[in-house]
Amino acid sequence: MSLFTLPVLRRATRSAAMSRFVMFLAIMGPGIVTQNVDNDAGGITTYSLAGAGFGYALLWTLIPITIALYVVQEMASRLGAVTGHGLADLIRERYGVQWTTLVMVALLLADFGNTMAEFSGLAAGGEIFGISKYVLVPLGALAVWVLVVKGTFRSVERIFLIASAFYISYIISGMLAHPDWGQVLRASVTPSFSLKAGYLVMLVGVVGTTIAPWMQFYLQSAVVEKGITVKEYGYTRTDVLVGSIMTDVVAWFIIVACGATIFVHHLHIEAAKDAALALRPLAGEYAAALFGFGLINASLFSASVLPLATAHYVCEALGFEAGVDRTIRQAPVFYGLYIALIVGACIVVLLPRAPLLQILFLSQVANGILLPFILVFMLLLINNKRLMGAYANSRVFNVIAWVTVAVMIVLTLALVATQLFPVSG
Amino acid sequence: MNERRRDAGSVQRDGMLYLSQIIGKPVFDSTGEAFDTVSDLVIYHGTEKFPKITGVLLAGDRSRVAIIPWDAVAGFSELGIRLRVERRHLTPRPLQPDEILLRDDILDCQVVDIDDIKVVRVNDLELRQIGNEVRVIGADVGTRSLLRRLGLEPAVSRLAQLIGRPLQSGMIPWNLVAVLGGTMTPLKLSISRGKLKDIHPADLADLLEELDRDERVEMMTALTEERAADVLEEAEPEVQAAVIQELPSERASDILEEMAPEEAADVLGGLPEERAEELISLMGEEKAEEVSRLLQYPPETAAGKMTTEFIALPATMTVEQVLDRLRETKPDDETIYYLYVVDGRNRLVGVLSIRSLVVSPPDTPVSHIMRSDVISVRPDLGAEDVAAVLIKYDLLAVPVVEESGRLVGIVTVDHLIDILLEKYGPRKLGGGVDLSHRQAARSAGEGT
Repeated sequence: MSLFTLPVLRRATRSAAMSRFVMFLAIMGPGIVTQNVDNDAGGITTYSLAGAGFGYALLWTLIPITIALYVVQEMASRLGAVTGHGLADLIRERYGVQWTTLVMVALLLADFGNTMAEFSGLAAGGEIFGISKYVLVPLGALAVWVLVVKGTFRSVERIFLIASAFYISYIISGMLAHPDWGQVLRASVTPSFSLKAGYLVMLVGVVGTTIAPWMQFYLQSAVVEKGITVKEYGYTRTDVLVGSIMTDVVAWFIIVACGATIFVHHLHIEAAKDAALALRPLAGEYAAALFGFGLINASLFSASVLPLATAHYVCEALGFEAGVDRTIRQAPVFYGLYIALIVGACIVVLLPRAPLLQILFLSQVANGILLPFILVFMLLLINNKRLMGAYANSRVFNVIAWVTVAVMIVLTLALVATQLFPVSG
Repeated sequence: MNERRRDAGSVQRDGMLYLSQIIGKPVFDSTGEAFDTVSDLVIYHGTEKFPKITGVLLAGDRSRVAIIPWDAVAGFSELGIRLRVERRHLTPRPLQPDEILLRDDILDCQVVDIDDIKVVRVNDLELRQIGNEVRVIGADVGTRSLLRRLGLEPAVSRLAQLIGRPLQSGMIPWNLVAVLGGTMTPLKLSISRGKLKDIHPADLADLLEELDRDERVEMMTALTEERAADVLEEAEPEVQAAVIQELPSERASDILEEMAPEEAADVLGGLPEERAEELISLMGEEKAEEVSRLLQYPPETAAGKMTTEFIALPATMTVEQVLDRLRETKPDDETIYYLYVVDGRNRLVGVLSIRSLVVSPPDTPVSHIMRSDVISVRPDLGAEDVAAVLIKYDLLAVPVVEESGRLVGIVTVDHLIDILLEKYGPRKLGGGVDLSHRQAARSAGEGT
């Protein structure tokens, strides 16, 4: 197990307020990194399409989504801080090997799809700048490999935090699109609803892309690996809250950028790349370039985290040796899965006639089927008094959490249903 | 009844059964009525190599408190458990302090393989009937047991045979298993204290890195202070800081006190200031002072790396007196390479090697055999430059001398290795230490 502890900023804490802030900086990371990995190629595509297709009509959903995201992620980080174990670990120990295997196989499938989505996002990002995907995708895969194998966990987290800062490029893109701010703000707080199938699919898509199964595993493990205990847990809650808000602010600006330009001009787009290209004449060269840069950053960022994390949980849960500090001979299953995820995803994306849309659809279905299980497991675990003691959910929090989970389950089932039985709309 | 016994006999020909085969199976009372199913088995976790099963927990007992004592069991097979009494005559009892639940605390949980010294996950447990007793003989950690529990073993096994790589069973004999306990069990590693006794501190330090938070605390609590200190000295800086943070203050400062002062200072330097001060205040006065002084130096300098444990002698002593004193004080391995000669104000005036001491007549004064052109470094010299000095002059240790000439410490070749490791990373070295001697021990263990 690689492990890193709170970096210490000695002698920097003179006042109580300052020391609290320094403490927060030290503990910051898991929440913000997770949430930004979440704004990956799939997320950016979905938000772009939402803005391009429906203007500001879906902006209001971001507030309830932020709350749901926070509720779910807060539970994941609390589970980690209190038990000191990852989610895969807890599921295995409490619910046995059959459930664990089922969950892990689904996670593997879903994340293979997610990894492909990252590499196709990278390919798309490259095309915006006229770089061939046959150059950029292998280079990206290599960069991911080097980062993971050569970097230490601490340096990797720093790079991730810096990469998180680059999401600001979407905020600038949004500004450059010169939206009507009054209208935008009104739309953000005014729920509107349409029963048109296209609207529903998009609504479900936005929710589904924001709360994904792998995030719960990643966040909980990151909290554990950082050595955060219940003592520092208050800071982690802030970290998760800041991360949830950051994620949705980025999503908000992407929707605004596309809504103010592509939607207003009634253009039709199908992918994030189209969005960037459509932005060029409408919002200017810089907005388009920033959009493309953001896409490459997000794709690389998530491609570094997802395959590695997935290989880790699967091995941890099923009892295979794992970790980049092992040799290939010591941890063959771990490296096998990791390489299969990266190389496999790369190859599929580079196939001349790859059925990308179908594959992405399958991965979304796998994500959708998996999420309810994960959320229910989490709720059962966090309400286990023997495990959580005084840190089990309070009654009020439980009501909010179960409602969130129920809504999530209905929406994801709806997403799966719309994917299985496509409605023309 | 007879029918059942014969069936039971066929399974128990070799007396071996997996825990997963018995969980969920019916429990019959003496009238032959299947009134409940097996939820868990209880073992007494004492000093026995292969602990015996002491009771059964039934699925009907929702609160999981009433243990059916093993005395009441007449037969035990993969078909279920047969009791020798009627249901209403059962006398359940609560779980005893030294008892643990096999399914709850061990199955699917992580344990330490103390032979390979790594954390492994238990896929199944092997039970064996020996006379009237049933004992746990091993933990299954291999792919085969994983597949068996998923019901995939026959198919995959055949496939593996076809490609010529039969599945390995991966059974660890129970005497080589140290139980950590699940996430919910407070007892944990201390019950396996005896099994950790013979493991080298460096191996335990590796293990420490693999363990989860609570288990780390548990391990450092189970060891004696001296051994805990040895283990912590060998651990990575991040692990050191994490462990000291997680331990109760008293225990943490006791362990730090047992560590070499420069190692303790390094650990304390990685902690938040408040916590470091608290721990220093709990240490003995002399050690606390020394550690505080070392903490003043920046970590990446000669003074930051040096140890303050070295041998300093007045020039007037004779060889014999020096040898007597060494016998008395029994200095550590790494400090005995060189003996430093100081004047009345602790200023370094010379050095002599242990070799020159041994080959000289007993009554020679130290001043006659010492070298007075001593190579030394200043306290503020960078760690890598110190390493360069050690390498260039082929020294086993170099003294750290203040501008006034006062000797304050030495940097030894052990520190040199640490400096180089920090620079070039441990991954380049010994990522896969040869485990052959441990493997040999494993196969010997299996024979018994």
